[in-house]
Amino acid sequence: MLEARGLRKSFGALEVTRGVSLALPEGARHAVVGPNGSGKTTLFNLLTGELRPDEGRVLLDGRDVTALPPDARARAGLTRSFQKNNLFMGLTVRENLALALAIGERAGTVFWRRFERMPGLLARAEALGERVRLHEVLDFPVRSLPYGTQRQLEVGLALAIEPKVLLLDEPTAGMSAEETQAMTALIAGLPREIAVLVIEHDMEVVFEIAERVTVLDYGSILAEGTPQEVRATDAVRRRYLGERAG
Amino acid sequence: MTGGEDFRRHCVAAVLLAAALMGLALLGYSGRDRLAEIAILVIFAMSLDLLVGFTGLVSLGHALFFGLGAYALAGLTTMAKIPPSLAMPLAILAAAIAAFLVGILAIRVRGVFFIMITLAFGQMGWAYFQRSRTFGGIGGISGVGQPDLGAIGLSLANPADMALIAIIAAALVYLGMARVTASPFGRMLVAVHQNESRARALGLPVQRYKLAAFTLAGAIAGLAGVLAAERTNFVSPDLLVWTVSGEVLIMVIVGGLGTLVGPALGAAVWVLLRDYLSAVTPYWMLAMGLFFVAVVLFADEGLYGLAARISRRSTRDA
Repeated sequence: MLEARGLRKSFGALEVTRGVSLALPEGARHAVVGPNGSGKTTLFNLLTGELRPDEGRVLLDGRDVTALPPDARARAGLTRSFQKNNLFMGLTVRENLALALAIGERAGTVFWRRFERMPGLLARAEALGERVRLHEVLDFPVRSLPYGTQRQLEVGLALAIEPKVLLLDEPTAGMSAEETQAMTALIAGLPREIAVLVIEHDMEVVFEIAERVTVLDYGSILAEGTPQEVRATDAVRRRYLGERAG
Repeated sequence: MTGGEDFRRHCVAAVLLAAALMGLALLGYSGRDRLAEIAILVIFAMSLDLLVGFTGLVSLGHALFFGLGAYALAGLTTMAKIPPSLAMPLAILAAAIAAFLVGILAIRVRGVFFIMITLAFGQMGWAYFQRSRTFGGIGGISGVGQPDLGAIGLSLANPADMALIAIIAAALVYLGMARVTASPFGRMLVAVHQNESRARALGLPVQRYKLAAFTLAGAIAGLAGVLAAERTNFVSPDLLVWTVSGEVLIMVIVGGLGTLVGPALGAAVWVLLRDYLSAVTPYWMLAMGLFFVAVVLFADEGLYGLAARISRRSTRDA
């Protein structure tokens, strides 16, 4: 579904991504872990097209999308949520979801009909709101919502365009224990047609949702495998898990 | 935007229209001419609101398309001898094409660079018409051709008729723009304004929407320019100078960004303050500046927001 081959990216003299390859088959549940500054978000930006790699290629559905900007990749079925909430802050939750749905349906060519009267749009926004457990705050301005609730909308917007590949950048960052649990359940419950790649710091969450794990360190892959395999790798224990355990 | 908010805006617009029509019936020669000027600036300001208020593109060169509409009409009717009724739509088309071409370059940059690049294009237009022998240089072109409206008993040489036409045009532009901005297309512009990177991540071809907004705004500014040339029968480089772009931006901000009717209100208040204050004091610009600062600091959503708040309070008290 999504494949990265030998991605390299430097910012000045600093090489942030050093030959990363990754393959997400249909329905994948894949996590990227690694310490801060290991190049996780840069990898995401390369995959979604916010950054162009210096070397390497990105393939979506077997098609080379390396030269395509983010919006074209999204129309081809690849979207993301952001590490920092990246929402339509001045609008309500319902308006956010309806906008994302309308973007996904390419409704913007309609000039002469009211947005609210687009057939089924508001009903679908409501259904999506329910799916990401925002049905109680649909008419609240996003700005007024607590951080954790905004995180749910972050995922809700990405789901609105019915992606084939969904990249989630630290979906549980800054969440309380209950919120983390709800978000984990939401991710675990995503339809199997969607391939999911998630950056996550919380190893419990990783072990709960991921079937494969890639460990990044200084921009290159330190280990890759099932969660059990990765956990058993010496290098990983020392570099990453070890830091947390003791 | 909610239906209630839309309704409130339409109400303010209806009050403005009623005031204009009343003025048309009661005012004298110069008052009617001023009404025509206001109606034209209302169209111009609403066109800029599409860019600044809805799409979040702050242009400081919008007078370019206003001036191009006016000059195109003048050139087509006086030099090419094209009948005015045909030259008017052609002039609007010319402004739209110019906006499309300028837009292709301008939307590549954001923020202050967008402001600077639109300013640069505006000044290039002004510099051209100031020097161009073909277009009369500083002296401009007079004797702009007027369409023959004898069939419906009107003449644009008569300020009352000119004002009537301009008011009708402003009302139609308002209705059309209210419709377009409430459509999915209009909501996409708001999405770009609210969060460009997220809109792009969701698959919106942001640049195409910015260009569409820039072109549409240019075309409507061109219409305002066409009417301005008809009103005065005369075009000069003064139509394109960058302070004109600055003034219309002030009208939009003072009136209330992204509300359409706010900028209309802003245009009316601007002309009235200019004319009445300048009669009272030579320092009228100073007073205008203070007024601008007060509105920006204290009136959220500008004059429209102020009017909406007062009307809400009075309906609550009643």
